[in-house]
Amino acid sequence: MIISPQDRESLPLVTRILSRLCSLSLWIAGLGLVLMTAFVAWQVYCRYVLNDSPSWTEPGAVMVMSWFIFLGAAVGVRENFHLGFDVLLYILPRGSKSALRTVSDLVVGSFGVGMIYYGSQLVMLTWASTLPSLGLPGSFDYLPVVVGGVLIVLFSIERIALRWSGVDVDRDVNLEEVPAIVATGEG
Amino acid sequence: MELAILFGSFVTLMLIGTPIAFCLGAASFATILYMGLPPLVIFQRLNSGMSVFTLLAVPFFIYAGDLMVRGGIASRIVAFAGSMVGHLRGGLGQVNIATATLFGGISGSAVAEAAAVGGLMIPQMKARGYGTDYAVNVTSMAALIALLLPPSHNMIIYSISAGGKISIADLFTAGILPGLLLALALMLTAYLVARKRGYPTEAFPGFQAVLHLGAVAIPGLLLIGIIFGGVRSGIFTATESSCIAVLYALFVTVFVYRAMSWEAFVDATLGAVRTTAMVLVIIGTAAAFSWLMAYLRVPTMLIDWMSSVSQNPLMILLLLNVLMLLLGTFMDMGPMIIITTPIFLPVAQHYGVDPVHFGVIMILNLGIGLNTPPVGAVQFVACAVGKISVWEAMRSVWPFYGAGIVVLGLVTYIPAISLWLPSMFR
Repeated sequence: MIISPQDRESLPLVTRILSRLCSLSLWIAGLGLVLMTAFVAWQVYCRYVLNDSPSWTEPGAVMVMSWFIFLGAAVGVRENFHLGFDVLLYILPRGSKSALRTVSDLVVGSFGVGMIYYGSQLVMLTWASTLPSLGLPGSFDYLPVVVGGVLIVLFSIERIALRWSGVDVDRDVNLEEVPAIVATGEG
Repeated sequence: MELAILFGSFVTLMLIGTPIAFCLGAASFATILYMGLPPLVIFQRLNSGMSVFTLLAVPFFIYAGDLMVRGGIASRIVAFAGSMVGHLRGGLGQVNIATATLFGGISGSAVAEAAAVGGLMIPQMKARGYGTDYAVNVTSMAALIALLLPPSHNMIIYSISAGGKISIADLFTAGILPGLLLALALMLTAYLVARKRGYPTEAFPGFQAVLHLGAVAIPGLLLIGIIFGGVRSGIFTATESSCIAVLYALFVTVFVYRAMSWEAFVDATLGAVRTTAMVLVIIGTAAAFSWLMAYLRVPTMLIDWMSSVSQNPLMILLLLNVLMLLLGTFMDMGPMIIITTPIFLPVAQHYGVDPVHFGVIMILNLGIGLNTPPVGAVQFVACAVGKISVWEAMRSVWPFYGAGIVVLGLVTYIPAISLWLPSMFR
C-alpha cells in the first residue's frame, strides 16, 4: 500500500514496525535474487573453466528461490500488488466493496494460517532427514513456507485493521507503478 | 461434489477480487478439507511445485529484462528499429512492432515488453498525432511477439508442466516462425489502419544512420545469439542461459552503455522481486490446484467428453482453442499453462498433435488472452502507460485481434510453421 508522508506520523507503532518488516523482507528477497544469480554463474564457471560442477549450486539456488518467492509474496500482500480480478468490484457501491475486500483479506490470512500450521508439521516431519547435497536438515525446505505464512497473516490482519480505521489500502499499485518504471527507462 | 467445491470456491473468490494465487491455494485447501484428505499434501505440493531448478529461468529472464529496460538497452533498440521502418505508413506503429520483435528476442516477457516499449513509444506516438487507442493496441498486441520468440519463459513453464520431457531448445526454435508471422500480420494491420486514419510517416534517415544506430544497438542484440545459440547447441541449460542473460545485461549496461546507476540497479532488482514473486507463488498454488484436478480425474473426463463430441483432430484442436481463448480471458498466462497443460496436452496427444506444436498453439492462444479483459495483464499495462481505459482501447482493438486470430489459425492448422525449423536441427 502507499501511505503519504503526512499519514505516516499518525500511524500506530505496529504499522511502522510492520512497514520495516516488509521492506526488510523485500531487501532480503532482492539479495536472494542476486545470490541465485551468483550460484548459477558459479556453476557455469566451474563447469567450463574448472571442469568440475559443484553439487550444491542447483539445490542451493532452488532453496534461495523458495525464500525469495515466499518473502516476495508476503510483501505483495502488504503492498497489494498481487494480480486479481477486479471487474465486479468496480460496479459495486463503496460499502460492499470494502466488505468484499475484507473477506478477501480473510481468505488470504487463512491460507497463511494453513501455511504456518501445515508448514510446521512438514518441518517437524523432515527434521531428522538430511538433504544429501547441502548437508542440511530436510526441514530447511519447508521453513520458508512457515515464515512466509507468518508474514502473510500479519500483513493481512494489518490490512483489515487499517481499512477498518479508514485508511485507503486498496489502491491498485500495479497501475500506478508503471509510469514510474517507464520514467527511468530512458537512459 | 468435490469438483463443485474446487471450481465453485475458485470462481467465487476470483469474483470478489481475491488475488489469483490465493484463489487457487484456498480453493484447493477447502476442497481437500472437504474430502478428508490430509491438507499437508497441498502445502507440500505448493513447495515442490516451486522447487524446480528449471523454474529459476523465470526470475532470471524477467530480471534481465528489467535491467535492460533501465540500463538503456531498450531505448537503443527503439532508435535502431525507428531508423529501419519509420518511413513506412503508420511509421511509429511499425517502429513499435519492429522494436517488440527485436526486444522480444532478448526479454521474453510480454508485460515487461509492453511497459518498456510502450513507455518509450506511446508518448512519442501521441505527440505525433496518432490516436492513443491505436498506440495502445499496437503496443499490447506487439508485446505478444515476445512470448513466441526465444527466450520465452512461458515456454519453460510449459515444458515443466508437461513433466519436463519436452525439449526447451525445440520449443524455443518452434516459436521463431510463428513469432515472425505474428509480427508480419501486425505490421500489415498497423499499415491498413494507419492508412485509413491518415497517420503520418517519418523521414528515412539514410543508410548511414541505420548502420550507426544498428552498431550502437548491437551489444544488446548480441544477447539473442548468446541465449539462443547457447540453449540450441546444448552448451547451456535454459536456466544457465537465463543467468548469463542477467550477467550480460549488467555488463552491457554498466560497462558499455554506462547507463546503469546504483539506484537503477536497486530499482531493477526490487522490481524483478515484485514481479517474479507474484508469478512464482501463483505457479506454486496452481501446482497444488492442478494436482487436485488430476486426483479428481478431470483430464480423463475431458478426453471422454471430447471424444464423444468429435473424433476429428481438426475439430478437437478448434475446440481446445476456443476453450483456451475463453479461459484465457479470465486468467493469467502462468497459472493457465500450469493448470491446463496436464489436462489439454494428453487430449491433443491422443489425437496425434505434436507436444511442441501444441505448446506453440497454447502460448499464442493464451497470449491473446493477456490482451482481453477482464484479466488482461498486458492490455492493463499498455492502457496504464497510455492513460486510457481498457474500454476505450477495446473500441478499436478488433483489427488487431483479427490479425492475432488469423495467425493462431495458421499456426494451429499448419504444423510445419512450428515444426519445420526444429526439424532442421535434428
